[in-house]
Amino acid sequence: MRNYLKLVNFEFNRVAKLFAVLLSFTFIVQVIGVIVQSKSYLNMADKKIYEEFMPKAQFLESFGHMSFFQIIRSVWFLGPIAICIAGVGFYIFLIWYRDWLGKNTFIYRLLMLPTTRLNIFYAKITTILIMTFGLVAFQLILLPVEILFMKTMVPEEFRSDMGVGELLTNMPELSIIIPGSFVELILYYGTGLLVVSVIFTAILMERSFRWKGIFAGLVYIAIASVIFILPLLLQEFVLNGYFYPVELLVLEIITGLIILAASIWMSRFLLTKKITV
Amino acid sequence: MIEVKAVEKKYGRKKILKGVSFTAKKGEITCLIGINGVGKTTILNAIMALTPINKGQILIDGKTLDKHTFEKITFIPDAITMLPHMTIAEAMEFMDDFYHCWNQERATELLGFFRLNQSDRISSLSKGNTAKVNLLLGLALDVDYVLMDEPFSGIDMFSREDIANVFTSHLIENRGVIITTHEVGDIEHLIDKVVLLDDGMVSKEFSAEEAREIEGKSVIDVMREVYQR
Repeated sequence: MRNYLKLVNFEFNRVAKLFAVLLSFTFIVQVIGVIVQSKSYLNMADKKIYEEFMPKAQFLESFGHMSFFQIIRSVWFLGPIAICIAGVGFYIFLIWYRDWLGKNTFIYRLLMLPTTRLNIFYAKITTILIMTFGLVAFQLILLPVEILFMKTMVPEEFRSDMGVGELLTNMPELSIIIPGSFVELILYYGTGLLVVSVIFTAILMERSFRWKGIFAGLVYIAIASVIFILPLLLQEFVLNGYFYPVELLVLEIITGLIILAASIWMSRFLLTKKITV
Repeated sequence: MIEVKAVEKKYGRKKILKGVSFTAKKGEITCLIGINGVGKTTILNAIMALTPINKGQILIDGKTLDKHTFEKITFIPDAITMLPHMTIAEAMEFMDDFYHCWNQERATELLGFFRLNQSDRISSLSKGNTAKVNLLLGLALDVDYVLMDEPFSGIDMFSREDIANVFTSHLIENRGVIITTHEVGDIEHLIDKVVLLDDGMVSKEFSAEEAREIEGKSVIDVMREVYQR
């Protein structure tokens, strides 16, 4: 356990700079987005009310109040989130390949550590989880700050205020990364964890068998995907809605756990018996 | 004792090792010699479970390798095993963190022995100093067996002398060493046992001392006989 924690700490420190860059980028771009969107609304209000002499009430009726929704739906807000998702997605591959490729032969050291080799797998997957949860947590902290920014820029009579909770429940774009309930959290993040573990196993197949491993990895991903959606397919096409939604959820959780266990077992086998530096 | 028993290894369809067997005892320096591509590095990688073997068995003190064995055996490959952005001090700290058998006193001694600067980044080191850092990280572990892959490869004469001096020092004493090298001349007088590899097999295994004392031949003389037949 101690070695696992040390490895997690070590792996996270390796990605700390990239993580900090993603956080800073998100902060800067989203705050700029708040400023740009608020300014553009205020400029429009200025133009209509003071230059075209439109009554304030009529302006609000025609153009509506400025709400944080407008900011969230803009590329300023969703762009950094997409980049963070892409960054984590890219790092899922880089976290393994950086130890093998180029001048870096750190994989020698990792595989020769006096600890079970599966700890390397656990440490890397934990690092991906920490990154993901870290980015989500940062976004949650950032939201009220950005709302405050908007409030300081846009006068109250032009604003339609809403809290973070209200934003999250009304925004499907956000509900995937910030689930509204515990079940959604298990569903979304459980699936995410599963996808990462399957990809890790496929990467280890490639690292063990090279070209043949790429094929084996792709086949493994395909099989895991089919098994995972099998309950949904059966429900839809064979059993004609036989299961209650809760039963279906339980079935999905069970298939998910089976795939996770298979990925861990296979990764352990590859790391101890088949891996090649 | 490290026992390599009838090990076979294929890369694709090509058989690199065709039933290699030899032993390496504690307190002895065993030198694996062979032309490029004969499978010397593969044997060391296989001993450390860094590459799978197709047939055969490798035992370390009678047991197959597991996580505990890494506190008993160390491998010094011909490539740096630490992250390039680390300083030597950070690399030492990493080793101290993970290995119970890390000997800080010996590590400090090795730093002085090799005249290395703790604050230097690994990426900034010359090939010779990189090899020395590799040796430092491997030899500062209190282990019974040390595997070295081409420690003299591509480095200058003075660094080679420094590394060769390790073999006459207490840093190697009582350990079992398996070394692969092309530069036999640098350590010929220190080798206890020679395993000559040819075409994926052990073509000759002999005691260097016996060859010298009884047959009056150097290791290089025996190599010539075997490889130029």
